[in-house]
Amino acid sequence: MFLLRDCGRRAAASLGRRLPLRRLGSDSAAPCGARFDVVVIGGGHAGTEAAAAAARCGSRTLLLTHRVDTIGQMSCNPSFGGIGKGHLMREVDALDGLCSRICDQSGIHYKVLNRRKGPAVWGLRAQIDRKLYKQNMQKEVLNTPLLMVQEGAVEDLVLTEPEPGYPGKCRVRGVVLDGSTIYAESVILTTGTFLRGMMVIGLEMHPAGRLGDQPAIGLAQTLEKLGFVVGRLKTGTPPRLAKESINFSILNKQTPDNPSIPFSFLSETVWIKPEDQLPCYLTHTNPRVDEIVLENLHLNSHVKETTRGPRYCPSIESKVLRFPNRVHQVWLEPEGTDSDLIYPQGLSVTLPAELQEKMITCIRGLEKAKMVQPGYGVQYDYLDPRQMSPSLETHLVQRLFFAGQINGTTGYEEAAAQGVIAGINASLRVSGKPPFVVSRTEGYIGVLIDDLTTLGTSEPYRMFTSRVEFRLSLRPDNADSRLTFRAHKDAGCVSPQRYERASWMKSSLEEGISVLKSIELSSSKWKKLIPQVSISVNRSLPVSALDVLKCEEVDMDLLATAVPEPLQKYTADRELARRLKIEAAYESVLMFQLQEIKEVQQDEALQLPQDLDYLTIRDVSLSQEVREKLHLSRPQTIGAASRIPGVTPAAIVNLLRFVKTTQQRQAAVMEHQTN
Amino acid sequence: MWRGLSALAARAARVPGPGPPPTLPRGPPRLRAVPRLDVCSPTPRRRCGGDAGSRAPGSTIFALSSGRGRCAVAVIRTSGPASGLALRSLTAPREPPPARSASLRLLRHPRSGEPLDRALVLWFPGPRSFTGEDCVELHVHGGPAVVSGVLQALGSVPGLRPAEAGEFTRRAFAHGKLSLTEVEGLADLIHAETEAQRRQALRQLDGELGQLCQGWAKTLTKALAHVEAYIDFAEDDNLEEGVLEQVDRDVRTLKAALDSHLRDARRGERLRSGAHVVVAGPPNAGKSSLVNLLSRKPLSIVSPEPGTTRDVLETPVDLAGFPVLLSDTAGLREGVGAVEQEGVRRARQRLEQADIILGVLDASDLTSPSSRSFLDTVVAPLVAQSPNRVAQRFLLLLNKSDLLPASTPAGDSAPAGLPHLLLSCRTGAGLDGLLQALKAELTAVCGDPRTDPPLLTRARHQHHLQSCRDALSHYQPSADLALAAEALRLARRHLSHLTGGGGTAEVLDLIFQDFCVGK
Repeated sequence: MFLLRDCGRRAAASLGRRLPLRRLGSDSAAPCGARFDVVVIGGGHAGTEAAAAAARCGSRTLLLTHRVDTIGQMSCNPSFGGIGKGHLMREVDALDGLCSRICDQSGIHYKVLNRRKGPAVWGLRAQIDRKLYKQNMQKEVLNTPLLMVQEGAVEDLVLTEPEPGYPGKCRVRGVVLDGSTIYAESVILTTGTFLRGMMVIGLEMHPAGRLGDQPAIGLAQTLEKLGFVVGRLKTGTPPRLAKESINFSILNKQTPDNPSIPFSFLSETVWIKPEDQLPCYLTHTNPRVDEIVLENLHLNSHVKETTRGPRYCPSIESKVLRFPNRVHQVWLEPEGTDSDLIYPQGLSVTLPAELQEKMITCIRGLEKAKMVQPGYGVQYDYLDPRQMSPSLETHLVQRLFFAGQINGTTGYEEAAAQGVIAGINASLRVSGKPPFVVSRTEGYIGVLIDDLTTLGTSEPYRMFTSRVEFRLSLRPDNADSRLTFRAHKDAGCVSPQRYERASWMKSSLEEGISVLKSIELSSSKWKKLIPQVSISVNRSLPVSALDVLKCEEVDMDLLATAVPEPLQKYTADRELARRLKIEAAYESVLMFQLQEIKEVQQDEALQLPQDLDYLTIRDVSLSQEVREKLHLSRPQTIGAASRIPGVTPAAIVNLLRFVKTTQQRQAAVMEHQTN
Repeated sequence: MWRGLSALAARAARVPGPGPPPTLPRGPPRLRAVPRLDVCSPTPRRRCGGDAGSRAPGSTIFALSSGRGRCAVAVIRTSGPASGLALRSLTAPREPPPARSASLRLLRHPRSGEPLDRALVLWFPGPRSFTGEDCVELHVHGGPAVVSGVLQALGSVPGLRPAEAGEFTRRAFAHGKLSLTEVEGLADLIHAETEAQRRQALRQLDGELGQLCQGWAKTLTKALAHVEAYIDFAEDDNLEEGVLEQVDRDVRTLKAALDSHLRDARRGERLRSGAHVVVAGPPNAGKSSLVNLLSRKPLSIVSPEPGTTRDVLETPVDLAGFPVLLSDTAGLREGVGAVEQEGVRRARQRLEQADIILGVLDASDLTSPSSRSFLDTVVAPLVAQSPNRVAQRFLLLLNKSDLLPASTPAGDSAPAGLPHLLLSCRTGAGLDGLLQALKAELTAVCGDPRTDPPLLTRARHQHHLQSCRDALSHYQPSADLALAAEALRLARRHLSHLTGGGGTAEVLDLIFQDFCVGK
């Protein structure tokens, strides 16, 4: 690792690229004491999205990272997406975020999971070429207007008196690098596992955020001094294997989808043809693996630690301990078109290196496998996410935002999702606009951030579709109609091209559905037109084309052959045709979910005052227990307050009453002033 | 966990009664003719049509709004957009009454057509109503059979569901119908209602029905967890074979169990009505004597031996005109035989469920360890309740006053200045005073419309069980699994109204307990 002593040195120069520096104000030409609207610390998945989003919103933004060449690094699995995670990526894309578009340029094996389980839970997923992703991401970041990148390690924050009218005991004004200061209106911290990061292999432990990188210790101390509540989590990564040493011929091969489904609403297709994509292979553990793990528990300090690890992405050790005598899957995933490495997903392990090798070679297909890099565990500090508002700004320090793994989440997609939201809000805060919050009724991003900020987490938080109440409404296919228009109007972070595409799609869908509804024929007529359709011919009422489209065996193409005029034109755009089919399938259920969504939104619309001191306020009658819970989570709305366990119905009514009284008082004051 | 104000209001009301509910349709569409309601009010004002009130989003709630004591007339209210539909359904085929004027109508069950009662009905179209929404008031004859019948009839109207604690008032507040001062008491009221419902729920969960519900909820949660696991993990992880087949079997069994329960009306009716008065105290204080005295029959065996009563004995009695379920309990003491310990456990459980607790102490033995222990562990927490948060009412009785030396002034026997009544079950001295005090407490408990009457509880049970059953019939794993899971989610939500729980965390815990998922 190298620290850049000459502050302000533009890393872009070393990459031979021109930064749009000329767009910056004159003060930023002087590198020392430079001023930015938004400074983002960390160049991982949260940091890159945050920086790009802030810049898209029009803020002059600086991305600070240890090393420019690690921007866009996928430090764990060589894949993006999956069930729930694919939903997040679609939403990040709908907000014009980066990762989905980059994945469409860097994937090497695209496959949609849950194909047979209904479009609401389809999981877009792809194996990604690590090198390509990094290259493409760096190209994107370094060419984003208003966004500057600089190398450096942040030691401290510049803090001043708080702004009146906002909660928080101080305000962040900038960051202190090694010997210099950079001023900023908002600061976003996305340091991942680097806060007191500790790597573990066997009984060895040494400080590092990621293999080969230094942890951030000074910053951790600063945050603790400020009074942030810090917890500890652990995660792990599997060893990497040499591709040529694996006997794939005896293993199950998994081929990619044909055609590939892209992640981004803007991509018509992905960069690589299905036939050029790489396969994955499946192998399994066996009793010998269990034996090696169980015999060597005494050499494995990571497993013995009490720090909470994830329950769903567990190390092979915890799988063996919790579910003994079972065979576990190991997916052998490619790391890139020209990579010699294979990533054995499912084999995350922290045994001493030589025992890892021993374990690997007793697995089918891996008998002669060469371990290029051992698996290791990481233990790290995270900040209790209840210390943030849903805009991801901290309660304690004004204009300081957190995003990504630092908030106790796991996964690239979860990090990216928070990054976009933090970036948008850091920018909106600078321009004095209201925060951009996605509600639970609008997106998986809303569920993620609401869960984190109201309930906190005690294990690395991962997105699941089972966490989402309105799963049938919040689908991967309609993320644009849920979020793009709001992002355009309230945050201004959407490109004109995306806005136009989303608008066209929205109006085409609406038009298509009303046309489908208007075509009404008798059931026997339908049966004649489409013999395979499962409609009872005894029905007396006419049946609309929309209702016919609801049948599993009918799609838009089939319907358009039966009724070419006027349906033919809705099959030209493949995505439109697919989405019309999905809309039809869920139409009736959604009518009912809509009412429920409206009711939740009513509660979300009842804002609680931001600067309320729950511990001391006397106008509201609340028990001490409820006060403490509200103080910790600082819910923004009555809806969020009611989701905090232990906050009673009576407390909610008292809060509601308080809100109404405050509103009335404010209205009275306003009236008085205008008179 | 409590969901938001309005969210909570509508949670469970999605499936409107039996018949083909419009939620979760699949395959060929089910077209449902929405009943058009032509005339409701002869005036040109808004009609109480099926969808006339649809401007107000949200579900329609109903509740018995008069007290549960004996009364000649009981008032049942509805509020919400489907109020008009409810009124039409119950008063068909006659014309609905004009707005805001009382009319006499024969109420019939909307499905069976069975006559329920001749009642005064009132129609208040919103916003000029108590809650600001469309409201209906039904003034029916006060007998439990009539009230129960009308409540169940309302529960069978699509879109209607029993009200949650304080929901009428909350809706009124939300629509600006209450001033802030009027709302002062709302939190206390909701607290009292929640408490009353909690006690009512405890009583039921204690019984056979409760155990059934708990069992169903457990099966359903597990089934849902397995479907959710199948959605979230099956492709990436190797879930065991046959997960969905097992869910299929569980859902079928559950449907059969619910069906047979719903068919057998008697089983659903086994709710004990009346205010729950529980007599408790240390052993040999004279609890059983008191119960016998109040019920005027030798219900409990009385002996000078401590620990004579070992089980909870209950008897329905009429006290001061109120229906009361009087329970005698084992004397509370530690370190005795297994049977008596079980009796003590049951006694404590019964205390939890009581509306009114009569604490009995031996006036001549107030300093004994068992008396002291009772004062510390039972009486003190009850007395410590803040007076405006009425959770449980309590009367302290000092029995065996006849054993006190005649010279002792009554006040001297009072433990630490607690209000109390002196009584002698043997001579009957002090009985009048006790009855008077009991009457006051019963008036407070039974005359208070805030407490959840068992009749409404019964309707609520019926409603949620039926809705749960209806949702289950939409579980079809062969088609879209997300839709199938939605059916289980809805079914579970209904059941959790009766059993509590129902959060996502519970499902995730089960997933990670049952499956080894993760890469």
